[in-house]
Amino acid sequence: MPDSVLQATRSVAADARERSERRAQSVSDTAVEEDEAVVETDAVREAIAKAFADHLGDGFIDQHITPGSDLWIRIDRSAWVDAARFAKDRLGMTWLDFVSAIDWLPSPFGRDMEAEQDWVVHGREDKEIDPQETGVAGGETRFQMLLRVYSTTEHMGVTIKADLPDGDATIETLIPVFAGANWHEREVWEMFGIHVAGHPDLRALYLPSGFEGNPLRKDYPLVARRVKPWPGIVDVEPMPGEDDDAEEGSE
Amino acid sequence: MGLVDAGKMPKSITKLLNISRKYSLWVYQWGLACCALEMGAAFGSPRYDVMRLGVIPFPASPRQADLVVVSGTVTDKMVPAILRLYEQMPDPKYVISMGSCANCGGPYWDSYSVTKGVDQIIPVDVYVPGCPPRPEALLEGIVLLQEMIQNEDPAERWTGAQDREPIVVGGGPIS
Repeated sequence: MPDSVLQATRSVAADARERSERRAQSVSDTAVEEDEAVVETDAVREAIAKAFADHLGDGFIDQHITPGSDLWIRIDRSAWVDAARFAKDRLGMTWLDFVSAIDWLPSPFGRDMEAEQDWVVHGREDKEIDPQETGVAGGETRFQMLLRVYSTTEHMGVTIKADLPDGDATIETLIPVFAGANWHEREVWEMFGIHVAGHPDLRALYLPSGFEGNPLRKDYPLVARRVKPWPGIVDVEPMPGEDDDAEEGSE
Repeated sequence: MGLVDAGKMPKSITKLLNISRKYSLWVYQWGLACCALEMGAAFGSPRYDVMRLGVIPFPASPRQADLVVVSGTVTDKMVPAILRLYEQMPDPKYVISMGSCANCGGPYWDSYSVTKGVDQIIPVDVYVPGCPPRPEALLEGIVLLQEMIQNEDPAERWTGAQDREPIVVGGGPIS
């Protein structure tokens, strides 16, 4: 079945190409309206999303399509490797763009809240922490894994998201599917503190040895901001021509 | 070096030595970020032509260098490498810190990974401010460094008795 899906996506994509070529040849003033009409639906990406939904079953949670542009699907963590293998083997998305993660926690630190000296300059303002947001295709937890794969022949890609339960930031490794995921997962591990189960070589990639903490977590404190006021403050001087009148008046 | 150790080198010889030192500065290039392009323009292009100042920008190793230009963002992970290569340079050695990042961290002043100024690990003789500085600014830094070398007493320098005040291109305070 999935192979037939691939066939279908190919034929639909070929149709779309043909249409766009015809449109390019048609008169230019009507082309704008046709463009707007075309991007309202996206049969190819809907077919891809449906293929994922059929294959993953309960593991498939949500999808988001920007017609003519991009596709996101959200899956259960348990379907992570399965979805990657399906995209690679059956949908022809053989190029691993990236593996990454997002920390959706609203930052507990604002610029004015953090540096004590800034409190002196501006007065301390207790900032209310924003509600947690999530991106397209939804999400319920703090950490979300991201995987983007792309078909270099069909020029079609998909971003796969998986929620990680709070308190159990663990994901299965994608190395058996994409060997190149190795370094991406090491980066996710050191930057977000997300454990990658089954990874053969989980050690720091960018950070110097002995570094403590996970710097891309939103609750990671920046030490410099705690001991130093924002240096831009001391540099504030009028732009040329802006305060000329005031200066002349004072002199 | 007996004379030098005793601090009794004749003034005329000191002057001659200093002239020859200031016009044969072998400079080791440490291009780390966008400042490296400005440094490359200053050192490599016929438009700026640093060799007319007597600066030779191609030592094969830091062991042949008199001067190192640290231009760009120094990260904490890079610090051991910078220290190691600086220690391999023979005395007397000079350091130019080029650009805001190397001077003080620059736009990355609050980063978790950037060293807030290369002067935290090695002594800096000339600061060239800018983000990035134009090649002319680097050339002025080199000219100022040559002036400093001209007026230097090698004996004091080599015995460590000299109190070195760093130079800032364009003036201004060091804080």
